[in-house]
Amino acid sequence: MLEKARVSFFLASRSITRGNKGITIFTVFVLTLIFIQLVLFSSMLAGVTLKFNELMVNFQTGNVVVEPKEEERYIEGASALQKKIESLPQVVGTSARLKTTGNFRYKEKEIGATIYGIDPADETFVTGLEDAIISGEFLSRPDKGEIILGREVSGGFGALMESKSLEGVEVGDTVELTIGGVTREFKVKGIYSTRFFMADASAYLTIADLEEMLGIEGRDFAQEIAIKTVDGTPEYDTRTALLSLGIGENIRTWHEFAGILRLIESTLGLVRNIMNAIGLLIAFVIIFVVIYVNIVNKKRQIGVQKAIGIEQNVIIVSFVLQAMLYAGAGVIFGYTFMRFGLVPYTVSHPVEVPLGSMSLRLDNAEALNRAVLLFLSSVVGSVIPAYKLAQKDLLDLIWGK
Amino acid sequence: MEKIRKHTEDAVKSMDEIRKQTENTVKSMDIIRKSIDDTITDTIIECIDITRTFKMGEVEVRALRSVNVRIRRGEFIAIMGPSGSGKTTLLNQLGLLDTPNSGKVIIDGSDTSRLSDSEKGKFRLHNLGYVFQDYALLPELNAMENVYISLMMQGKSKTECESAAAEILAAVGLGDRLQQLPSKMSGGQQQRVSIARALAHSPEVLFADEPCANLDSETSKEVLDLFEKFNQEKGQTIVMVTHEEWHAEYADRVIRLKDGIVQE
Repeated sequence: MLEKARVSFFLASRSITRGNKGITIFTVFVLTLIFIQLVLFSSMLAGVTLKFNELMVNFQTGNVVVEPKEEERYIEGASALQKKIESLPQVVGTSARLKTTGNFRYKEKEIGATIYGIDPADETFVTGLEDAIISGEFLSRPDKGEIILGREVSGGFGALMESKSLEGVEVGDTVELTIGGVTREFKVKGIYSTRFFMADASAYLTIADLEEMLGIEGRDFAQEIAIKTVDGTPEYDTRTALLSLGIGENIRTWHEFAGILRLIESTLGLVRNIMNAIGLLIAFVIIFVVIYVNIVNKKRQIGVQKAIGIEQNVIIVSFVLQAMLYAGAGVIFGYTFMRFGLVPYTVSHPVEVPLGSMSLRLDNAEALNRAVLLFLSSVVGSVIPAYKLAQKDLLDLIWGK
Repeated sequence: MEKIRKHTEDAVKSMDEIRKQTENTVKSMDIIRKSIDDTITDTIIECIDITRTFKMGEVEVRALRSVNVRIRRGEFIAIMGPSGSGKTTLLNQLGLLDTPNSGKVIIDGSDTSRLSDSEKGKFRLHNLGYVFQDYALLPELNAMENVYISLMMQGKSKTECESAAAEILAAVGLGDRLQQLPSKMSGGQQQRVSIARALAHSPEVLFADEPCANLDSETSKEVLDLFEKFNQEKGQTIVMVTHEEWHAEYADRVIRLKDGIVQE
């Protein structure tokens, strides 16, 4: 068994090292491209997902969110709870928010949006909202009657759904906001864009203003406390730490808010799988053609090998090994190109997409999976033609029939 | 009384003669039996009633018609005949490269008609060697590798393979070209590598199909001299197809074919 494998490997290695260099280079080049194609879409999807996640954490939920207990509408004693949470070493900041839905009216246009009541000073420790202001200014604690709008609410500034916005509100304009039958006018202090449409379809005012509209002034209520932790802290560890503080409120990590993102991710995942299947089919066909052409050109040699007593299986395995070596080289070159070329390049030179600046993210497990699939298709793509020809009649092979 | 004594003496003499004659007959029979035994045990290849038919489109071509051939160990046989007489077809049957439609090929006592394709492959690997008209070397292997590939297949170690290949290549006069690729060699050198490959594993029989067809006279002579050397010095059995009379002069015996029938 071992000696047979030795002969197969010997024939394959000599064929690659001393055979037609052009064919070898072409085959490895094509397989490299196929491997890149197989991992590129996954890397893009991973990059997009990472971006979505970043936007979600940076502009909406923070890392962990504390919500009211079951069947309760508000978290009571929000300030005290914030202080308790901030005592944890991994917590960078907390923001107690009131959250409701309301109707905006500007000129003839009327739209619904999510309204947050925040403490602007606290919010800057949790989200990057302040840095996302593209016109005007961010809120400050003493502000009264002022509001900041996401671009999907204000319209303009490249809003994705302009027709569902107020279409052209600018800083300094006054908009009418109705919450639970209470209507008030607010002066637009700033407009922000996170490029994350879910976050951009909201509006922020000070918590005092919203308390007033909801009729809960001075009650120290919150509907959620967003918590930002030190980078790299696992969310589930933070949850455990919060539970150990004796917090009885509902604690959820940002992952649990990412429902629609998961939906988008799984949709893109399906597209990725289809692309992978097509890529593998192309790999299979190319390997099949290359090995087939190679074998057809070596018909007489195969015949001679059989004549002098080289077993058919040894001959087949030698061609399969060649295909595997081609695939291996393709994987190594492709992986090297991605890991040390394209991915670092997109990290230092991010690609501008509607979501923002996006870079590729290469997942080693995914790359390994694609490498295995490429290997398998190279094995199948080479076994079929090699088997078909090697089992032909010896004299037909020798005479090149 | 005198008469009776003489008759008795004559009768005794006659009986002595008869006994002597009987003894001589028994001795002769022993010699004949021994000679038959020797013939049987010395036969390396026996092909019995071989028929081989090829289909060329709708037409059936009978390449061999009930051919019977016996080759003794150590013989150098030339197979001759006009084009299409079935020379190569016969060689292919004897060398187990093809399977006859009917008849048997017995090599060294083994009835090869009972062997499967893979068993025939193993049999060829261990017992037979081939020299083809166009050398049929593997272009990606150098001289030494071409020679030892069959030894590798037999499971020999790298050292064994290399020393055996170097030895046989030196014997065919290519001791200084071990690492040479076939593309860098002349036709004569390639054919010598091919001979070395065929002999490296000390086969029972060496088959050569027009080994000098692509060579000039001088190189042909070198190749045939090599065959003669291995035949005479090592007792190598050789079966060679040729169409040149002067090539056949190297052989101990010529099997002549015409229209698929042995003429000798």
